[in-house]
Amino acid sequence: MLSRETREPVGFLRSRRVQLALMLAPFLVGLAALVVGPALVTFALAFADYDLIETVRWIGFANFVELASSTAFHEALRNSLGFAAVAVPLRLLIALGLALLLHRRVAGVGAARTTVTLPSAVPEVAYGLLWLWLLNPMYGPVNQFLRMFAEPVSIPNWLTDPADARAGIVLMSLFTIGETFVVLLITRRALPPHVYELAAIEGATGFQVFRRVTLPLMAPVLGLLLLRDTILSFQFSFVPALVVTDGGPPPYATTYLPLFVYRNAFEYLRYGYAAAATLVMLVCTGLAVFLQWRLIRRYRSRYEW
Amino acid sequence: MMRLARALACLAAAALAAAGCSSSAGDAGPAGTVSLLVFGDPHELAAYRKLEAAYENAVPGADLRLIEASDRKDLITRLSTSIAGGKPPDLFLMNYRFYGQFAKRNAIEPAHDLLERSTAIHARDFYPQALSAFQVDGRQLCMPQNMSSLVVYYNKALFAKHGVAEPKAGWGWPDMVATAAALTRDANGDVAKGADPDAMPGAPVPTGPPPVSYGLGLSPEIIRLAPFIWSNGGTLVDDDKRPTRFALDEPAIEALSEFIDLRGKHGVVPTDQEKESQDDEARFAAGGLGMLMSSRRSTTTFRKITGFEWDVAPLPAHRTQATVLHSDAYCLTKGSANKAGAWRFVEFALGKEGATIMAETGRTVPSTVEVSRSPAFLDPAKPPRNAQVFLDSIPAIRATPAVSTWPEIEDVANGILENALYYGHQPREVARQLDEQTRSLFERGR
Repeated sequence: MLSRETREPVGFLRSRRVQLALMLAPFLVGLAALVVGPALVTFALAFADYDLIETVRWIGFANFVELASSTAFHEALRNSLGFAAVAVPLRLLIALGLALLLHRRVAGVGAARTTVTLPSAVPEVAYGLLWLWLLNPMYGPVNQFLRMFAEPVSIPNWLTDPADARAGIVLMSLFTIGETFVVLLITRRALPPHVYELAAIEGATGFQVFRRVTLPLMAPVLGLLLLRDTILSFQFSFVPALVVTDGGPPPYATTYLPLFVYRNAFEYLRYGYAAAATLVMLVCTGLAVFLQWRLIRRYRSRYEW
Repeated sequence: MMRLARALACLAAAALAAAGCSSSAGDAGPAGTVSLLVFGDPHELAAYRKLEAAYENAVPGADLRLIEASDRKDLITRLSTSIAGGKPPDLFLMNYRFYGQFAKRNAIEPAHDLLERSTAIHARDFYPQALSAFQVDGRQLCMPQNMSSLVVYYNKALFAKHGVAEPKAGWGWPDMVATAAALTRDANGDVAKGADPDAMPGAPVPTGPPPVSYGLGLSPEIIRLAPFIWSNGGTLVDDDKRPTRFALDEPAIEALSEFIDLRGKHGVVPTDQEKESQDDEARFAAGGLGMLMSSRRSTTTFRKITGFEWDVAPLPAHRTQATVLHSDAYCLTKGSANKAGAWRFVEFALGKEGATIMAETGRTVPSTVEVSRSPAFLDPAKPPRNAQVFLDSIPAIRATPAVSTWPEIEDVANGILENALYYGHQPREVARQLDEQTRSLFERGR
């Protein structure tokens, strides 16, 4: 039988920090090799003319100069920012509403929660193909349904009208809120019941409870989800735009930044140019996150979390 | 060091988008393992699998590995990332309009010397129009597998039902418009006006019951418009050999105007909503199109049609007969580990046996004269009965200009033409937009 001493870690392994570092190591190695390294190479390529075949040619800021005068890039940037401004708050509001609606234990709530979560489990391309059918202007169920009571002129042309196509992409994103919903549901269920009892004794109305109790208590998580969704919004417009609208209607109605990057890198073999656009995309995300963080801090100082 | 650079480049590609470094051939067998990158719909891919089986049967120990991409853009992505990853496929099949970007970047192993030394295939066996589309400075880079052109597929049953004369060689653009109008019908079988010329451009069709069948299917694309510009004696670009911009002259603008009128004035092609709901090939196969302008590619799909008979006719002409080349070629990659094996496959695929197999599947108009004139291609028992149309069109074939940035140019131009057709834009304004929005792309392609 081993003595107690021999089971103790030896030498430097005794240090708690070393143990933590060792446990983190596999993740850090993966992060460095698969994210940080390629990201650094991408940043470097932003200053190069590179097609993945011939050698790299350093061209300074020429890619950024070209981006600044590119209509396609301007449109893609505007589309991406517009998408984030509309889709992110809507997604969060819907997830919050559903979490508050479905946090109680009542009959059928399990099925309802599963229903809300399920669309997020569908593979992205399959989800896109499904919507390609749903939004089919003539034969799609969405327009078939609308045709039952709407005037023909007011029925959206999801795939041929620029504004309708953008709305369609936002609509698609509103159903994949499973993760956000689950996090908010758990947050709501973890809130202390006595606070609500106290509010009930004080005679607070439903809205007052929401405004003064639920919202401030859930605010840290909501803030975090807002940041996360903003970062993600630059990415999750990619598959719908590629599969459903193909970046159109022409010229660039639903060409978002990721699609712009993808086309230039992999269809036109302009990796340097695409890397420059990626860098701009990252800066935009950083700016949006910074602004939100400032807002959250201001809110936090009011409520003293 | 080179490997490291390539690995880093590939990682960079992964950071740009979710794409990996695809790998290619594994261990070589006695006759060699050769990987071939192709794309196509299920019917086309079935044709390549048939060729693969025949090759492996004919050459002992040979192992052909098909890498199947979903579409042309996917193929380009896979090809570029695999070249960057240092493991390109040995061969890829690509259209002459898109191979230029790889040719310019020196990623293709020229076939010139291999062809000169070959005892199995010879340059004289091929149609010169197909060979020249894959030549740079007189040197053969890739070997053409097919040489199709734009033709008119038509639904014989629909023509018979409405008592409309079938299209025949020598017909003109006005004949085509009249035929298409006579075939645009509503649910009662009456001739339907598919457009209101007085309505605002882009407005939905307001007059009477909407057509259930249209006379013509025609994609608003530069390769569909080009033959009519040439047919009208017009120019598409300023210099066919070294183009620097789109330069549509008066006859070209006239042809463009006629093209745009198909929707706004005549209403004989489906609206954009209808086209997004059901693409032209599906609409034709469902009996909802009288005619469809397409290349040989549609044949494999249409051979599955059981409900009606169909055939092909030459393109209508404005002044002189013209059509546009559709041709794909086998290209060897510079980084191929088994160039000898790859060339051996090319010799088989383009030799009599291989070309016959592909011709029988219906997918290709053979690039070799002998097989194109054989029953494998002309067999009247297999539709289209009038396959001779593809061969008769050959003297009138012209190719789109060779520019390495042509894929980008086409994307921009097709977007402009799509809006022009469906929203009735002014032809002169369209010509101006074509020039303005693609000039920098031409410049980068030089």
